[in-house]
Amino acid sequence: MSTLNRRSFFKRTALSGIVGATVLTAGKEVLASPSEIGQVGTLIDLTRCDGCAHEHTPQCVLACRQKNQSRFPEPEKPILDYWPHKNHEDWSAKRELTNRLTPYNWTYVQKVTVPTASTEETDVFVPRRCMHCENPPCAHICPFSACTKTSEGVVVIDDKICFGGAKCRDVCPWGIPARQAGVGLYLHGAPKYAGGGVMYKCDLCIDRLREGKAPACVDACPQQAILYGQKDALLERAKARAQEINGYVYGEKENGGTSTFYVSPVPFESIHQAMVEQVVDGKPGLPAMPVGVGNAMDQANNMAKAAFFAPVAGMVAAAVAAYRTMKGDE
Amino acid sequence: MSPQKREPEGILGNGKVLRHGKINRFVHWIVALSIFSLIFSGFGQMPMYKRYMLVDVPGMAWTGDYALTLTLHYLGAIVLMVVVAFHIFYHLLRREFHIMPRKGDVGESIQIMKAMFTGKDEPPSHKYLAEQRLAYAFIGLSIIGVIVTGMIKVYKNLPGIDLAESTIFWSTTLHNLTAMMIILGIFLHLAAFLVPANRKLIPSMFSGQVDAAYVEHRHSKWWAELVNKGKYKGYSSNRQGTVNSQHRGFPK
Repeated sequence: MSTLNRRSFFKRTALSGIVGATVLTAGKEVLASPSEIGQVGTLIDLTRCDGCAHEHTPQCVLACRQKNQSRFPEPEKPILDYWPHKNHEDWSAKRELTNRLTPYNWTYVQKVTVPTASTEETDVFVPRRCMHCENPPCAHICPFSACTKTSEGVVVIDDKICFGGAKCRDVCPWGIPARQAGVGLYLHGAPKYAGGGVMYKCDLCIDRLREGKAPACVDACPQQAILYGQKDALLERAKARAQEINGYVYGEKENGGTSTFYVSPVPFESIHQAMVEQVVDGKPGLPAMPVGVGNAMDQANNMAKAAFFAPVAGMVAAAVAAYRTMKGDE
Repeated sequence: MSPQKREPEGILGNGKVLRHGKINRFVHWIVALSIFSLIFSGFGQMPMYKRYMLVDVPGMAWTGDYALTLTLHYLGAIVLMVVVAFHIFYHLLRREFHIMPRKGDVGESIQIMKAMFTGKDEPPSHKYLAEQRLAYAFIGLSIIGVIVTGMIKVYKNLPGIDLAESTIFWSTTLHNLTAMMIILGIFLHLAAFLVPANRKLIPSMFSGQVDAAYVEHRHSKWWAELVNKGKYKGYSSNRQGTVNSQHRGFPK
């Protein structure tokens, strides 16, 4: 599926001096172009989602798989281990899995049983996928900028550039991106020694959004549990809905803000706890819901002001030192 | 603020020449240390330490924490930027441009390298050899490149800042490229000491001093400048001859 080979990658890198300088001096084009559809988001109402209880697979999951099947990885076999480790991540023989995130399944519905105030316990069905954060650490920290946030506020991974280091998954509070070995750019280098494949996750059907449509999962939901629209409006709606049911909102503050807002009748702390207890195999793809979780970039961002001030500090020190030494020369 | 005596660059009375004052040596070593730290924290961002199991070495588990290595990367960058800005403006204000490349440096560098193998005379040099000026330009431009692209990356990491995807892609790619150029530059810089004649310069990065005979022989244009400036301090012609006769390993 990768059309960018090593030669063209290095060619692009070599050309970067010219093109980069042009881009960097192109004024307003340096900034993201305004989105034609604004900043979009989704609202997931957990009072409505029943996980399509009477069906084998939830409709949102089926719609996502159908929509994206042409983009699923087709790894070259045999897949090499990640030297010096004696393992690699290969989900290609488990494509049928629909109860967790994999490179072949970008959304799933997690059922948890949690205690409530009025009854002893209740089942909650939580559709899970990328939250499309406002300040996505996965995109900021990607060493090749394969992961970026679009002007619509959607976080996407370019499978032609991704090297599969899985750093995005490590800095994601939910560990969302899923890795498949045996595909991608790294195969054109030294696949035994560097690179790990390609990371896959929900892109909110960005192509559909740009055509004026809603994401496939939204259209497929028989309960209208997933709503799509302008992010700000959806947040207001989520808060109003939470007030109406005396419930809770998740996604407004987590990771510095996201564009996915869950509304639940039970506290997310309880949902999180139940999800943590469900994870038994230790493998990625079954994210919990930590409440108020911070952003991996926060600590570094606190130093940004100092970074911008650093050259000025150096100039001032140079002026003082030059004055003193030149005066001493006289 | 009381004026402080500048460490005088010039011929000393002990058969040595002061080649680098305290400020230059300080700048060199802080730049070196910050760049080494940046290379380490930068490779941590690639990511490499989990893959190549550095995290399993006792006491090194922290190298797998991307938020921490990123913070260290910012810290190293702040130090580097302070010192680089200091270096540029300090020498601009003092109008010291010995190390800036000059016309003909490429040809002269080739001559110097040829002399290394043929045993012929090297062309007379200023304070820096032509190849040293070119190396400075290469490393200097790479550092400027890595700083500019790094600043763009720091800016785009801030909450609420959305740059165009192409800007992000190119700043990242250029950052990686210029970082590799710096690593190549450091490698070549250190490889220069495989040439015995260059090793005479090593003490100058610690004490600031090099042998006067070396300067007179290999950097004769600079030597002439120093003598003309009247910096000569009790370095007798007799002694000069003695040092010259002991001076071996240079192309005659």
